[in-house]
Amino acid sequence: MTSVQLFITCLVDSFFPETGEAVVGVLNRLGVNVDFAPEQTCCGQPQFNAGLRKDARAIAERTIALFENTQGDVVTPSGSCAHQFRHNYLELFEGDSVWLPRAQALAARTYEFTEYLVDKLGAADVGASWRGLLTYHPSCHTLRGINVDRQPRLLLQNVKGAELIELPNAQECCGFGGVMSVEHPELSAEWLKRKIKNLDETKSPTLVVTDAGCQMHIAGGLHRQGKIQQVKHIAEVLNNV
Amino acid sequence: MTAFRQRILESINNETLQTALDNNTERRLKGRAAAFESIPDWRERRQRAKQIRADVIERLEDYLEKFIAKNEENGVIVHRAKDADEAIQIFLKIAKDLPQRRRERGERTKTLIAKSKSMASEEIALNHALEKEGIEVIETDLGEYIVQLRHERPSHIITPAAHLKKEQVAQLFHEKLGIPYTTDIPTLTATAKKILREVFLNADIGFSGVNFGVAETGSVCILTNEGNGRMVTTIPPVHIALMGMERLVPNLNDLSLMLSLLPRSATGQKLTVYTQLLQKPLQGQTRHLILLDNGRSRLQNSPLKEALYCIRCGACLNACPVFRELSGHAYIGKDKSIAPYPGPIGSVLSPGLFGENYFQLAQASSLCGACKEACPVDIDLPTLLTRVRAGQSPVASSQSPVTSNSVDRNQLPVTSEGAGLSPMTKFGLRMYTRIASNGRAFSAAQKIAAAASFFLAPSSRWLRLPAFTGWGYSKDFPKFAGKTFRERVRKLEGLKVGTLESLKVEGLKVEGAQRIFSFDKELEALGGHVYRTTNATKDLVEFLKSRNIQKVHVEPNTLDENLLQAAGMEWTHEPDDQIHAGVTRALCGLADTGSVLVADGAGNPLRGSLLPEIHIAILKAKDILPSLPDAIEKVKDTRAAVFISGPSRTADIEMTLTIGVHGPREIHVFVDDSNSE
Repeated sequence: MTSVQLFITCLVDSFFPETGEAVVGVLNRLGVNVDFAPEQTCCGQPQFNAGLRKDARAIAERTIALFENTQGDVVTPSGSCAHQFRHNYLELFEGDSVWLPRAQALAARTYEFTEYLVDKLGAADVGASWRGLLTYHPSCHTLRGINVDRQPRLLLQNVKGAELIELPNAQECCGFGGVMSVEHPELSAEWLKRKIKNLDETKSPTLVVTDAGCQMHIAGGLHRQGKIQQVKHIAEVLNNV
Repeated sequence: MTAFRQRILESINNETLQTALDNNTERRLKGRAAAFESIPDWRERRQRAKQIRADVIERLEDYLEKFIAKNEENGVIVHRAKDADEAIQIFLKIAKDLPQRRRERGERTKTLIAKSKSMASEEIALNHALEKEGIEVIETDLGEYIVQLRHERPSHIITPAAHLKKEQVAQLFHEKLGIPYTTDIPTLTATAKKILREVFLNADIGFSGVNFGVAETGSVCILTNEGNGRMVTTIPPVHIALMGMERLVPNLNDLSLMLSLLPRSATGQKLTVYTQLLQKPLQGQTRHLILLDNGRSRLQNSPLKEALYCIRCGACLNACPVFRELSGHAYIGKDKSIAPYPGPIGSVLSPGLFGENYFQLAQASSLCGACKEACPVDIDLPTLLTRVRAGQSPVASSQSPVTSNSVDRNQLPVTSEGAGLSPMTKFGLRMYTRIASNGRAFSAAQKIAAAASFFLAPSSRWLRLPAFTGWGYSKDFPKFAGKTFRERVRKLEGLKVGTLESLKVEGLKVEGAQRIFSFDKELEALGGHVYRTTNATKDLVEFLKSRNIQKVHVEPNTLDENLLQAAGMEWTHEPDDQIHAGVTRALCGLADTGSVLVADGAGNPLRGSLLPEIHIAILKAKDILPSLPDAIEKVKDTRAAVFISGPSRTADIEMTLTIGVHGPREIHVFVDDSNSE
C-alpha cells in the first residue's frame, strides 16, 4: 500500500486539527497510508518571508533532515508550505553544494494535498458529498506559487450535491500575507474587506480554501464583522461523504 | 505609526484617490487580458523575452559597446553618465553650447526644453536641476503636463495622473491656464494641445526617454500614443535622449518580440500609436544620447539583478493589490521622499538603486505573486522582494556591497536581515524560530498558547485582540486548539480512484488573402479609416473635396501630381504647421495591428504625418505584411521611421480615451489594389 508523509503545517496543527483529520480521512479512503513524523514543527516561511534568512535556514535544515529519514511523498494541506519547500528552500540554499541537493530531493517529493489527489493518484471524484452552495478562494501560493488551480476546482466540481459558484475576483489576495497582516494592518484590512464583499455577493454560506493562513484570516474577518459564513479547508469538504 | 503607514492610511481614506485607482486598475487589467488573447503563444513569447533580457543583462558591456559604436557611426553623440550629477552636467553643457539663434532674436531669454515622458529623468530629478539653472522644461505628455502644473511627481509610470479625477484637472486648468472651468475631457485635452504645440515649435531642445535601444543597429525605440514623443524628436534642432543603460535588445527581431509584449502589458494595445525607430539624426538635427548608470552596474552584480530585466510597462503596478490602495505617491522612503519607482518593481528597484531609505517598501507586500504573473518578462518579483527584506540590496547600509555570489548572499550578517521590519515583529519571529527548532518545545508552546487562549476567551472560538497588535485591527484571532493535530493523529483505510482530463491550448494566425481584411478591421477598430482603391490619386481628390480641403502636404512621388493639378488641388512638398492634411507613402502595413510604416525622406513625411490634423497614407496592397517581425528590418536603411497605429490618442485623464492629442486626429489609409508599380 502507498504511504505518504504528512506535513501538517504549524497552523493546521495548532488551530485547525480537524483539517488534518480530514486530510488523513480522504487519503485513507483512497487507499493511501499516512505517516506522521511527530518531530515536525514549521516550514520556516514566516521567517523567510520577513527576510530573516538565518532563522529560516535553521528551520529548513531541520525540516529537510527530518524528512530524509522517512519514505514516500510528502503531502501538505497548504499551497503556501508546499511553495516554501519547492521554491523558497531552493532560494535559501542556492549555491550551497551540501544543502541544495538535499533541498531539491525534498522539493521533488512534496505535493500540495489536492495536487497529490489529482496529479499523483489520478483521483477526480473522491466520493464526497455536500449540501448547497460552495465557493472557492484560490490561495495566492496555491494558485500562483505552485500553479495549482485546476486540481481543487476539479475535485470540488465532483462533490455530489454541491453547487459550485465562482467567487468574483477570486484570484485577489485576501490580505493575510503572513507578517504583512501585522506589519501593514491597514492594507490587509482593505483587501479583507474586498474579499468578504465578494463572498457576500456569491450568497454562498461556505468558502473553501486550500490554506490555513487564508482560513484564519478570512474567518477572523467574518467573525469580527459578525457574519455567519464559514470558511472550510477543502479537505473537510472532501472528507464529507 | 511610521510615516509610511501614515501615508498608506491617508491614501486608503482618500475617496477621490480610491475611485480613480479602482477605475485605472479595472480598465488596465481588462485591457491587458483582452490584448493578450490576440497572441495565443504569449507564454512562449514571455519566456523568450525573459531569456533575451537575461542575456542582455549578463553581457551588458558587450552590447553597450556595440550599441554605442553603431550610434557614433550613425552620427549620434553618445555620453555615459555614472550618476545623476554627471547626467545633469551633460545636459547643462549641451544647453550652454546651443546655437543662440532664438535668444538673439529676443523672443525668449530662457532655453526651452520640450520634454516627453522619461522615468529615468524622474530618477535623477532632472527637471528640478535644470530649472535651478534657468532652463525651462515643459512636460508634453498630457498626464505629465498635468502633474507638472500641480508640482507633483507622476503617480504611475504609464499613466502619471492616474490618481486624479477630471474635476481636479478642470480646476487646475482653470487656475493655471485661465480657461473657463470645464470637465469636458476633449476640451481639456485640446487646451493642453494648443499650448504644447507652441512649445514644440519653439523649443531649443527636444528631450525624450528611450523604451529600447537596439545593439545591432543603434536604433533608439520610443513609444508614445499622443505623438509628443514624435514632436520632440522631429521638430526641435536638438534631440537629447536619456536612457537607462540596461534598456537594450540585441537586434530588431528581438525588439519586435518585446513590442508584442510591452504595449499589451502597459495599455492593452497591440502596438502603441507611434512606434518610433530612430537611427540617424534628421537633416540639420543634432542628437545626443545619454546612457545612465546611476546604480545599475551595482545592481547588475547583485542578487537583485533580475530587476534590470524590467521593460517599464507598469503591468505589475496595475496587478498589485498594494499599489491599488496606495498609488505612486505613497511609496515613500524613511526620509519621506517619494520613491522614483513605485509598485512591486519599484519596491525592488528603489531600494536596489538607492539603498536603505527605501527598504521599508519591500515589507509592504503579501507576496501574492500577482506582479510576477503580470510581468511580460517573468521577473520573479516576490523572490526579489524577499531578497530586499533579507538585506541583499547592493547598497545595504554600512555593509560591503552584496554581490550575486549565491553562497555569500545567504550568509549575510544577521543584523542586515529583516530589512524594513519593525523591531517587535523581528523579535517575535526570532522567538518563534527557537520554538520551532525543537519538537518538544513546539508542543509545549502549543499547550501554553492553548491554555492562555482558553483563559482569555473561555466561551468563544475567537480572541479579540487590540488594534495595536496589527491583527486585531480588522479581524479576530482563532483560539489555539485544545487538542492539536499531533495529539489526535491516527490511521484509517479506504479506496476509490477516478480519472483525470487534461486541458487544451488553441492557436490562430493571419494568412495571405486575409491580410487586407485584417488590416482594415484592426485599423478601423483603432478609429482609423481604410479605403480600397485602384487609383489612389483620384479617390483621394474626391475625399479631399468632400472634406473641403484645398491644400495638402504631399510626399514626392506618392501621388499622380498631374491629376492633382487637373483637379484643381493645391499641394506642397514642404510640411507646414498651417496645412490640415498630409499625404505620405506607407512603406508597408501590418495586418495584425493595422499599422503603417512611414520613414524619413524627401518632402519630410515624418512631419507630414505628424503636424496636420489629418494624415493620409498611401499603401500598396502587396505591402501589407502579417506582423511587425516581418517588417521591422525595413527601418534599418532609414534615418528614422515610425509605425503608426491609428490616430493620436490619450487616456491620461480618468482613463477616458480621447482622440487627437499632439499628432493627427484622423488617419486614412488608401490601400492600392492595382498591380501596376
